[in-house]
Amino acid sequence: MSVKAFELVPAVERDLLMGDKARINIECIECCGKHLYMGTNDCFIHHFLLDEVTSSKGKLSYSAQKLLHKYLGLKKPVAELRAASALERLIVLCDGMVFLVDMVTLETVPSAAGGGAKIRGVTAFCINENPVNGDPFCVEMGVLSSKRRMVQIYMVYEDRVQLVKEVSTPEQPCAVSVDGYFLCLALATQYMILNYNTGASQDLFPYNSEGRRPIVKRIGREEFLLAAPGGLGMFANAEGVSQRAPVNWSESVIGAAVCFPYVVALDESFITIHSMLDQQLKQTLSFRDGHILQDFEGKVILASTKAVYVLVPLPLERQIQDLLASHRVEEALVLTEGAQQNIPKDKFQILHKRILQQAGFIQFGQLQFLEAKEYFRKGQLDVRELISLYPLLLPASSSFTRCHPPLHEFADLNHLAQGDQETVLRCKKFLITYLGEVRSTEAANGCREDVDTALLKLYAEQDHDSLLDLLASDNACLLADSVPWLEKYQKYFALGLLYRSNGQDSAALELWIRVADGDLQDSTRSDLYEYIVDFLCSSLDLVWKYADWALRKDPAMGVHIFTKRPAMKELPELNPDDVISYLGKHSQALLLYLEHLVLERRIQKEKVHTHLAVLYLEEVLSLLSQSPADEEQISRAREKLQSLLRESNLYRAPFLLGKMENCEQLLLERATLHGKLEEHDKALHILVHKLRDFPSAEAFCIWASSCRDSAYQQQLFHLLLGVYLDGNPPGKAQAAAGGGGDLEMAAVDLLNRHGEVFDAVRVLRVLPEGWSLQLLRPFLGRAIRASIHGCRTSQIALGLAHSENLQLLHDRLKDRKKPIFVSEKKGCHLCHNTFSEPDVVCLPGGVPVHTHCVAQRVRDSPTKRQLTNSSNHT
Amino acid sequence: MPEVSKMKKPDVKVVLLGDMNVGKTSLLHRYTERRFKDTISTVGGAFFLKQWGPYNISIWDTAGREQFHGLGSMYCRGAAAVILTYDVTNWQSLAELEERFLSLTDTANHDCIYALVGNKADLTDPKAQLSPDSDVASEECEESGCPTPPASPASLSGMTLHKQVTPEDAAALYGRILRYKGLEEKSSLPAEKLCFETSAKTGYNVDTLFEALFDLVLPCILRKRNENQESPTVDLEECRGTSNKRTRSACC
Ligand SMILES: Nc1nc2c(ncn2[C@@H]2O[C@H](COP(=O)(O)OP(=O)(O)OP(=O)(O)O)[C@@H](O)[C@H]2O)c(=O)[nH]1
Ligand SMILES: [Mg+2]
Repeated sequence: MSVKAFELVPAVERDLLMGDKARINIECIECCGKHLYMGTNDCFIHHFLLDEVTSSKGKLSYSAQKLLHKYLGLKKPVAELRAASALERLIVLCDGMVFLVDMVTLETVPSAAGGGAKIRGVTAFCINENPVNGDPFCVEMGVLSSKRRMVQIYMVYEDRVQLVKEVSTPEQPCAVSVDGYFLCLALATQYMILNYNTGASQDLFPYNSEGRRPIVKRIGREEFLLAAPGGLGMFANAEGVSQRAPVNWSESVIGAAVCFPYVVALDESFITIHSMLDQQLKQTLSFRDGHILQDFEGKVILASTKAVYVLVPLPLERQIQDLLASHRVEEALVLTEGAQQNIPKDKFQILHKRILQQAGFIQFGQLQFLEAKEYFRKGQLDVRELISLYPLLLPASSSFTRCHPPLHEFADLNHLAQGDQETVLRCKKFLITYLGEVRSTEAANGCREDVDTALLKLYAEQDHDSLLDLLASDNACLLADSVPWLEKYQKYFALGLLYRSNGQDSAALELWIRVADGDLQDSTRSDLYEYIVDFLCSSLDLVWKYADWALRKDPAMGVHIFTKRPAMKELPELNPDDVISYLGKHSQALLLYLEHLVLERRIQKEKVHTHLAVLYLEEVLSLLSQSPADEEQISRAREKLQSLLRESNLYRAPFLLGKMENCEQLLLERATLHGKLEEHDKALHILVHKLRDFPSAEAFCIWASSCRDSAYQQQLFHLLLGVYLDGNPPGKAQAAAGGGGDLEMAAVDLLNRHGEVFDAVRVLRVLPEGWSLQLLRPFLGRAIRASIHGCRTSQIALGLAHSENLQLLHDRLKDRKKPIFVSEKKGCHLCHNTFSEPDVVCLPGGVPVHTHCVAQRVRDSPTKRQLTNSSNHT
Repeated sequence: MPEVSKMKKPDVKVVLLGDMNVGKTSLLHRYTERRFKDTISTVGGAFFLKQWGPYNISIWDTAGREQFHGLGSMYCRGAAAVILTYDVTNWQSLAELEERFLSLTDTANHDCIYALVGNKADLTDPKAQLSPDSDVASEECEESGCPTPPASPASLSGMTLHKQVTPEDAAALYGRILRYKGLEEKSSLPAEKLCFETSAKTGYNVDTLFEALFDLVLPCILRKRNENQESPTVDLEECRGTSNKRTRSACC
């Protein structure tokens, strides 16, 4: 419970006041600056000078020096003393009489002419510290008289007092306090507020006056502190409303005062100190024979019957620190925030922030991370304070030093965790989330490098997934500090990313290559090689530097650095010739690259096409020369070669032909090349006689004539037929003996299958006499049908032309019969211009148009043209 | 953090009144801290500043003990709403409201709203044993293992107690309150709207009660804000005016 909020410091010791006169008691005190006045039961006023002395250790003490004492001559105790410093007067209540005394000489002030300086029959009086009257050289005073139900208001001047107002009360008042127009009174059975200007009153609450003196204490503008039944200190404002919750002091309070934010109360044996902020009892000091507790200009002074003490508040900050030291975070914050009104704004903000930060660290130390975070956020903690708790996280280059005095008691995380690894881990996890949240906010302004570097270290150490995200995005990680750290945790891939974000692509690659080659261990990416290739795809200089490595590792994949380059403005295209000459020593990659150029990018360059064809050829040749030959591979390789030879028109066919002139295994390819060179007889000769591959021969004819007209195709097919029918080529009699029949059958098949292509008449002329009709039935049937079809189509066309002609004749006759009017006012139906000469053409229906217009129409209209064409034909 | 520290000026005041031990402090706790915890009999009074939307509402928890009875009128001075609390298992606690507490509300605003709240409904009513508005609250309670203080003999034995005060009794008292205040029953808010049965222990109806009251005092808040805005200097005159009125009404 206890806070040390105050310290009791002796001010005037017993000896100084009364020496050995044991029966002298202090009755009342007044303090005004350094001047302390004391009234005693033997009717003396004592005047002391009170000096504050601060020792070298900062400890405060008082030294009192007696200036004067004066007997008032009334033989009664001095009941009350009040200073009116502007008037240099003390207002004294003694023996039921109020009168004035000079502050310096302590001489009683004689009454001025025309007005008394004495008031008689007084039981109590109070001074208005918030007077309504503006005159600084007069003091307003509320006076209670014995046996009168009223309060009198007096003005006190240097040498006289003047009654200005009287207000009656329902009961005899026994204690009074005043603020502005508002009197706060304790009557016989209750407290009330009375406006002496308007007479309006407000009952507060009843109290039991038996034996107990009521307390009515003004504590601020229009606010009073009252002793309430049940040992309460109640607050009431001028409207009669309580704005603060009461404090629970004790039943027998003698005096009370407010020294913000505390309520100080004195009873017979204790001083109790409650906070007005949370109503809690904060401190208790034992104090025997307590008699008086009063505050003077913020200074709380207490007196026993024999000695005087000052209750010195400890500096607020010290109190707060005490609370924090005992981990009473909330109370410390309540105290801080409660002091807001009493501290200049900027100073308060600094203090408040600091307390919040300290509170955060206390929660942090208790692993209350949620609360800690909230306090850190509110207190705008420099994140580096937190980071610096974790050994080695702050970059060596960081200029950060912990704030002084320190915000917490921890040397570092190990100290905090006392070696408990579980705790260390939890703290690290917290820092990870905290930094993650903070790094993009303004809390990280000015220390982004420290934050990001710390985060990187934590991620690396904790094997956290977000390490890569951090590095792949915009970050401020410091290279010098992060490199050894990432190396230590073998985060080479991440380190590469860091190099990259620092513009050191080359260093990144070097590192990754070592990982890909297995020189360094980092399993972050199993597809690191592909990643590197991908990276090289979009780089310009590095691609040449590392191409060799990439190609050697895996030519098929590696060549992607040339073939899979994204089309980007910033990335100029590589010159294919450079690449080709570079790839000279990487044959497989070269082949793939050429394929890429020819097949994907469709580059139309003779050199490239020839090069590719040659490579295909060489591949085939090399496969062929192997033994045992891998048939499947060979056929795949040949397939590629053949398809290139067939599809491309750009390669140098004679050159290639020369290369395979003597190769009897590549007859099909040679045939294709001959075909390209339009040496169809040679091609067909190879196909028919050497390969005896009749389907290919047929396919050749179709392929070779594919972009040509039907006459060309017919020519080719006749050529093939000729080759079939010619039978044995000279010098191959041997083969012919068995093969003659084959060729004839091939001829028959050809005719039967592609009859429509042939000119039947020519075919019939060359066919051997002995062939049966049956054999050629499909061909002949189709030929006859085609011929009849042609004949009948012609007849129909002829008939149609006839009828059209008739129709035209009919129209002409019709038009001739009636005149056709042509005038300059009539427009041509086609061009809408007028006629200027009589030569016109009539459209069917007798519509006259210009001759040139109709000629134009005929030329433009496709249907018309066809009509004319077809009629030409027929 | 305790709200008190923020010391904002409240827009309006709500006061909890009722005999000791009926559960005023527990109700306020339940509402502000969302839990039911051990209490000690309130000394003097305490208040809580509730931030309700843009408004600050001070809720005063008063002491029911006889000893502090005299402070009641002062707490009620200028109140916009008074929550008259009784214990549904204790007929006397309802009777006390009429005999002892009603007169304390004389100092409240002339348009003050009076709510009649029968607390500890969990002891008599099965449906109040589960909080309807927040099962989280009751869960929380179990989770944190917060001790259930021996509320009254009944909860010790664990049986449901005989309900001594019915809603009809409460409604009848509500009618008498209106009459005491000299209000027409027809032009006032009906009993159904202002009689509640709650349980601070389970949270049953607690939010409903406070939120309903806040809604009802909203016009009062707005009027006050408006007045302050129109002429901030009038303040003094105003309070004098009202205090005059009060003294007069106290005389008759
Ligand atoms: N079963 C049950 N017990 C309750 C409920 N509310 C309060 N109590 C118990 O009743 C007793 C009194 O509760 P308080 O909230 O302190 O009562 P109070 O009205 O503030 O009393 P005073 O401060 O003395 O005026 C405590 O033991 C509570 O645990 C409730 O809803 N149900
Ligand atoms: Mg209570």
